[in-house]
Formats: sequence, C-alpha cells, structure tokens
Amino acid sequence: MDTAFKGEHLVPGHLGQFFIILAFGAALLSAISYYFAATSTDKLDKSWLRLGRLGYWINTASVIGIGVCLFYIIYNHLFEYHYAYAHSSRALPVYYIISSYWEGQEGSFWLWTFWQAVLGNVLIWKAKSWEKPVMTVVSLSQVLLSSMLIGVELFGTRVGSSPFILLRDVMQGAPIFSRPDYMAYIKDGNGLNPLLQNYWMVIHPPTLFLGFASMVVPFAYAIAGLWQKKYKDWVNPAISYALFAVMVLGTGIIMGSFWAYESLNFGGFWAWDPVENASLIPWLTLIGAVHVMIVYKNTGHAYFTALFLTLISFVLVLYASFLTRSGILGETSVHSFTDAGMFWHLVADVVLFLLLAIVLIVIRWKELPISQKEEETYSREFWMFVGSVFLALSCLQLVFVTSIPVWNAMFGTKIAPPNDKVTLYNVFQGAFAVVIALFMGFTQFMKYKKTDTTRFFITSGIYLVTSLVISAIIIYITGIYKLHVVYMLLMFTATYSVMSNAKVLSDAIKGKFKLAGSAVAHIGFGLLLIGALISAGTSKVVSENTTGEQYSAEFAKANDPRENIIMYKNQPVQMGGYEVTYIGDSISLPNHYFKVDYKKRDKSGKITEEFVLKPNSQANRKMGLVSSPDTKHYLFHDLYTHVSMAPIKYDDELREESMGHEGEANDDKNYDAPVAHAVQVGDTIRFREGFMVLKALNKNAHVQDIKLSGNDVAIGADLEIVSHGKTYMAEPVYMIKGSNGYDFARKVDDVGLKLRLSQILPKEGKIEITVYQQPESKKPYIVMRAISFPYINFFWSGTIIMVIGFLMSIFRRNKELKTV
Amino acid sequence: MKKSSIFGLVVIAIAIAVIISTYSSSSTYGSFNDAKKSEATLQVVGHLNKQKELYYDATKDANYFSFYMKDNKGQECKVIFTGTKPQDFERSEQVVLTGKMVGSEFHASKILMKCPSKYTQDKIEVTEVNAKQASI
Repeated sequence: MDTAFKGEHLVPGHLGQFFIILAFGAALLSAISYYFAATSTDKLDKSWLRLGRLGYWINTASVIGIGVCLFYIIYNHLFEYHYAYAHSSRALPVYYIISSYWEGQEGSFWLWTFWQAVLGNVLIWKAKSWEKPVMTVVSLSQVLLSSMLIGVELFGTRVGSSPFILLRDVMQGAPIFSRPDYMAYIKDGNGLNPLLQNYWMVIHPPTLFLGFASMVVPFAYAIAGLWQKKYKDWVNPAISYALFAVMVLGTGIIMGSFWAYESLNFGGFWAWDPVENASLIPWLTLIGAVHVMIVYKNTGHAYFTALFLTLISFVLVLYASFLTRSGILGETSVHSFTDAGMFWHLVADVVLFLLLAIVLIVIRWKELPISQKEEETYSREFWMFVGSVFLALSCLQLVFVTSIPVWNAMFGTKIAPPNDKVTLYNVFQGAFAVVIALFMGFTQFMKYKKTDTTRFFITSGIYLVTSLVISAIIIYITGIYKLHVVYMLLMFTATYSVMSNAKVLSDAIKGKFKLAGSAVAHIGFGLLLIGALISAGTSKVVSENTTGEQYSAEFAKANDPRENIIMYKNQPVQMGGYEVTYIGDSISLPNHYFKVDYKKRDKSGKITEEFVLKPNSQANRKMGLVSSPDTKHYLFHDLYTHVSMAPIKYDDELREESMGHEGEANDDKNYDAPVAHAVQVGDTIRFREGFMVLKALNKNAHVQDIKLSGNDVAIGADLEIVSHGKTYMAEPVYMIKGSNGYDFARKVDDVGLKLRLSQILPKEGKIEITVYQQPESKKPYIVMRAISFPYINFFWSGTIIMVIGFLMSIFRRNKELKTV
Repeated sequence: MKKSSIFGLVVIAIAIAVIISTYSSSSTYGSFNDAKKSEATLQVVGHLNKQKELYYDATKDANYFSFYMKDNKGQECKVIFTGTKPQDFERSEQVVLTGKMVGSEFHASKILMKCPSKYTQDKIEVTEVNAKQASI
C-alpha cells in the first residue's frame, strides 16, 4: 500500500521510535558493559565501567527523548497517532493532557522506565564500589522495560507496544484509511475517561511508578551481594533505598485510595480490587524486608529472611505488572488494562528475575551467613522477625486470592473468586493485622539481644491494660462491637501499638532522637489501622430507600437495604437525620453539578445546620453517565454524596445549546394534558404540587423586543405560586396586536409548570389561565446515594504521619551509612 | 525442639490454613442452568441480550434494574439487579453476575462488566468515522 497520505506528521513518530530503539540498545550495552566491569579482574581497567556509564546516560537521554516526542504528539493533537487519538482530545486542558499521557499501557511503562533511569543515575553518582554489580542488575531491568515499548514485528509476533504507532496501522482494513485524505475526517480524539479527569490522576501515577521503580534498587543490592560474595555489606545501603521505596509506594497507594474515595464511585477508599492488591502486596513484603534487614544489621540473625523478602518484593512488583497488564484479570477486576499482546513478554520479565534470584541463592547457599544460634525469646529481633513473617503471610493470602485467574489459566480450572471477597479479605487481613499490631506494640519495650524480663512484663502490661480500657471505650462509642470479633481485637492491638510507640516517641524527644522515625511511622500505621477499621467497618448508607414502588414483596424482602433514593427537584426528603432537597443544577462544561441542600433541624423545627453539596456528572456519549461524588468533611466523619442516575443532556448537546442552537419548538408534549381555569383576581388555582393565586392583572405588561403601538394591548397575569414551601412569581402575558391575539407562556422549571394566559373573558370579568404540569417522569430528578464514613480522618492523618516517619528513618539510616 | 523449628511449623500451618479457607470460600462460575439447580450464590459469565429491553425507571423505583442475559452456554435468563443501571451498561461486551436464582429470575447482587473499548475504542470509533463518511 503506497498511498501518500495527506496531513500526517510523521517526523515526531519516527524520531520517537528511533529513541525507543536507541534506549533499548543503550540499556543492553550498559548491562553488558557493567557485567564485564563487575567480573573483570583487572582493577585498573576502567573501560568497561566507562562504557557502562555511557550506555546508561544514552539510555536516560533517549528515554527523555521518547517522552518529549510523545508529549509533542499529544499536546499538538496529532491524532494520526493512535496514542493521542485513544487517550486525548482537543477539549482537554493541559494538566489533563499530562494525565492522558499515562492513561495507556505504553505511557505508564514509559513513566516506570523514566524513573528507573533517574534512579540509575543516582546510583552511578552515589553507589561507589557497588556501582558495577548493582548497575548491571538495574540496566538489565532497564533493558526489559525498554523492550516493552519497542513494538516491532519479530519472527511474526509483535514485541512490545509502541506509543508511536499510527492509527491507520492499528486499524488496518478500515475503509477510511484507504483514502489519502483520511486525516480530514479525524477531527478529535477519544478523550480522557471522565473518571480519570481528576487532579489525583496527574500526580498519583508518577508517585506510584516512582515507588515501583525504586524497588529495583534493594533487589539489585541483594543480587550484587550474592554475586560479589559481599553477603553482609549489601544490607546497609539497601535499607535506605528500601525505606525510600516503601515511603513513595505507600504514598502512591494512599493517593490512589484518596482519589477513589473522592472521585470514583465505588463508595469507599479501598475495595480489595486485584489492581489495588497488586500494588499493596510488594509494599507489605518490602516493609517486612526492611524490618528483617534491621534485625540482621543489629544482631546477625535472620539473614535468609531478609534476603528472601528483599528479592521477592521486586519479583512481586513484576508479577503485579503482569497481573494488571496482561489482561488475565479480565473477569475479576474493573480497572485492569486490557491485553496489549504482551502476555508472554510480561511472563518472561517475571521469570527472568525470579530465576536470577533463585539460581544465585542456590549457588551461594552453603556460603550464606545463616546464623545457627538461637535468638533470645525476650529480644526485639526475634519478635520483629516473627512480625515480618506474619506480614509476608498476609501477602500470601492476598497473592493467593488475587491470582485465582492465574491458577485457572495454569491448571485449566474454573474457580471463581469468592462472592464476598471484601468480607473475606477484611477478616483475614484484619486477623493478620491484629498480630502485627500487637508485635508493633510490645517490641517497643524490648531491647536487641536481651531484655530484662520482669521490667518488660510490667511496662508492657501496664500499657496493655490501659489500651484495653481505651479501646473498649472506642469500641462502645463507634459501635464496632456489632461487627466481627476480629475488628474488636484489631482495635485493641492497634490502640496498643499507637500508645507504646507514643511512649517511645516521648522518650526519643527527650534523648535518643534517632528512634523517633520508627516510632512516628508506627504511630501513623496504627492510626491508619484504627481509621480504616472504624470508617470502613461502621460506614453507613444514609440514603436507604423506604419508598419506591415495590415490584413484588418477594423482591423487596430479598434485596434490603436499598441504597439509592430518588429526589425530585425541590421536594425535600428525609434522609438519615437530614432534610435533603435537590435544589438545582449548575453547568460548567463538561460537568453538570447537582446542588443538593442538606438541612438539620432541632426538635422545634429550627434549622441548626445547612450546607449544599454539589456532586457532579458528565453525560458523555462514549462513556455514558459518569459521576463524581461530593463530600462534606466533618472532623469526626464524612458525608459522601453520589449521584448514580439523572436525566441530563449529553455534553455535546449542552455545548450546542450554550452556543445558541436551542430549539424553542412546541414542547407541550413534555407536559400532561393542559387544564384551563377561568379566574379573577384573588382566585386560587390548585395543582398537584401546590397552588397559585392570581394577585393582579398588569395592564402595562410588555414583552421583550415587541413594541406596542396604537390600540395594542398587553395584559400580564401576576401569579404567585406556592409549591413545597417555596414561593415563585410568574407573569404570562396576553397581547392583542392589530386584530390578532397572542399569548406568551411562562415556565417555572423548578415546579415543572408552564402557564398561559390563554383567553380574556370580558363578559364574566375573568381571564383564562391554562396550566401545563410536567408529569412525574419528566420532572427533573436525581437518584442519589449517600454514605457516612465515621472517623475517616484518622485514616488520612495516619497515612501522613506514617510517611513522615519513613522520611525521618531514611535520614537516620543515611547518617549511619558510610559507603566506600 | 528448636524454637525456630516450632515457629517454622506454625508458619506452615497458617499458610496451609489460609490456602484451604480461601479455596473453600471461593465460588464457581456456572450457567443459569447450574443456578437453577443449586440454592447457592454463584457467578455467571455471559453477554447482554441487546435486542431485549433494559428496564430502568428511576421514577418508579430507583433500585430496580432488569435485563436479559445469555450465559456462555447460550441460555437466556431475566436478571434483576437491586440498584441503578450501571454506567454504560449497553456497551458492555461481557458481563459477570454474582447472585442466585429466585423462581425463573436471576437476582444479581453484583454486576461486573467489561467494556474493552473503554481504553481502546477502536471498534466503535471506526463505525462513527464511517457514518460521517457516508453523510458527505
């Protein structure tokens, strides 16, 4: 096919593709050179090292080049490129252009590659004697990541997926692409999924991928330690990087959950979705790894566990990327990527690094410094070790359940994930958390090597009893006692861990300040557990529906509670202690905001509190109705309001209307059959939802743009309308111009009324008012769901405190570090 | 026995317990026929029958949504879901229902739908492009 296509911009794509190949080649060069540099026996020969660095720098530059090309394409709306077409559109503001950049597989792979390039440069600068072996591993990982972006045919199969592929190549065979001027028909891209149009989408993926990317560093150190037989030395530098990875990945995960809470509609901050689990698993194992590394550093015990957890964490990161990107979760997850034809490529990535770790361990097994001495039972290291193993065990459960589709694919079985997986995960992970929080508490009263037993039992006992009392009070107030017993236990041990770490923190402020970091991180984690427990455990749907036509008694019985309520405009509804009214809309394209007024009254009926929430929706032809909730934040609870259904116009219709194409056609069909009333001043007309009074006749009424002359008359009927406690005014007009009569109807949208002064009846001294009322089904309404999340601020503050704690620990560990 | 060996055994025991309890709480994929035979909740994979009516009228009941689905064996069944119509439901290519049979209707407590075109909307776009072409 040698059609010359008009209007295509092929240069940025060719350039980008060139950078991809260069990045791949340079990473390969770097990996090989670093390998020879590390194995070379000639200490004075620096040529391999120089080549390795050069390769890595070229790789970094090319990765940046790829990014610039892709950004150029998206920013300039070059829709001949599939990536720009699929993820962006002209209407997107710049910050969402940035987020559309990493909406797709290729963009997020690029992000990962970019961060890994940055970290590699940090290592070249900082790692000193470790540079050669560590960079061999990092470059190898860079080779694999770059290969995911190549997108070239090799022996009949496509390797990787390039962001620079052209639209006409993706959709080969579509008739439009046989036209040389096809570009003239592709006016706009698909745009960004409205759910992703949120500022968290701008910063959450970069943070998450920095976390993923940084997990390669401790892995590389562990491999380098095995390879270079520096079995003990790798632990020290690895701790700092592992803490960094844990901090950043943790922040990324929390950002994701905050985004889910704030903007997505699954009614909470954590849903145990496979994609969420996939990011949580390596985070937990690496936290375990950090603890065991510290144990090893202090006592020489638990070497193998430290090694194992460090290695497996990175393999689990790769496994997570396999789960989310291979399409294997198709039937179990809402938001996994679809298969981009990289299934075996991703498998190879996991297997390669897993084998690397296993082979090295097997080869070096006999030489590993595994301590044969028993640890003291009353030593901090023993319980830190046990706690980390429990952390790993909790991951085992997560991995096992999340991987059900993988088991099915491997063994040809047809197991479905548990029906009520949230409860299953909550109870299981809750039980593990009970044990871990308990350890987090009492290990604080222990010392490394040996603890004074009596003193330990006294102090830890005092704190245990105090926490028991405090947690009992919390359990009673928040109503946790109504739930599973595991939650009560967790509340108890989490309180315990917060309190005992608070003691450590207060001691640290007085003197041993280097312990403050871990205490702060532990307090944060404890608060996070408490917050998650209360808010998720006792969250309550406040929009329980008690009205609504019942389809059958059987149906109603089996399907309680019903979580959505319908609200007609300006008709107040009682909902969980609030009087709630849907009072109107405001449109700021493409968002349609629904104003929902909340009132709280005391016994005498006086309003004690009033606020308006504005949940919004986008009605998008491609995505349907996509809603984002709005939340009222109190100090001790949140009230979350989400519109699940509303009869609103599509955004393109609204856009046209706002440009003045509104069709003022006869809209009588939108109303019930009209009713005419002959009335005189002072009379009342009743209608379904209220009444109106004819206050006066206005002889000087005027209609915009129509000048009256001579004998022309215009009469307006001043109507005062009262509906649902609100008063509105409307003035329909009757006009005699020349010898013809005209009437000008007036609408009161909030009440769903159209009013005409349809006749003047001089004989009876009356006028005729015709009332059109909207049927129930045509009236504006919203279907809404409201949930109250108690004490969720514990969760958020806990996460922030935890991150601060990690940061403090990193500074401390870096101070101890003396790299040669 | 050494303390570490005891601990090792405890770990292995917990690991086995986790795996067994997870396995026993997992459910099975089935067809509507299987659902008729059993009382238990199960998961049915299938496709929405787009010819038949999707019924959702918020003004009648905001928590009632019904549609017809064909399972992977080709059997069709009326499905009732307590809740609002999921966004974009008409466009789903595959639907996974969790629920059980009540009489001749399948009462779903959870609907998971896949719209692969959500991320790469190639198919749908092509038809739109073609429609534009025809109008010129």
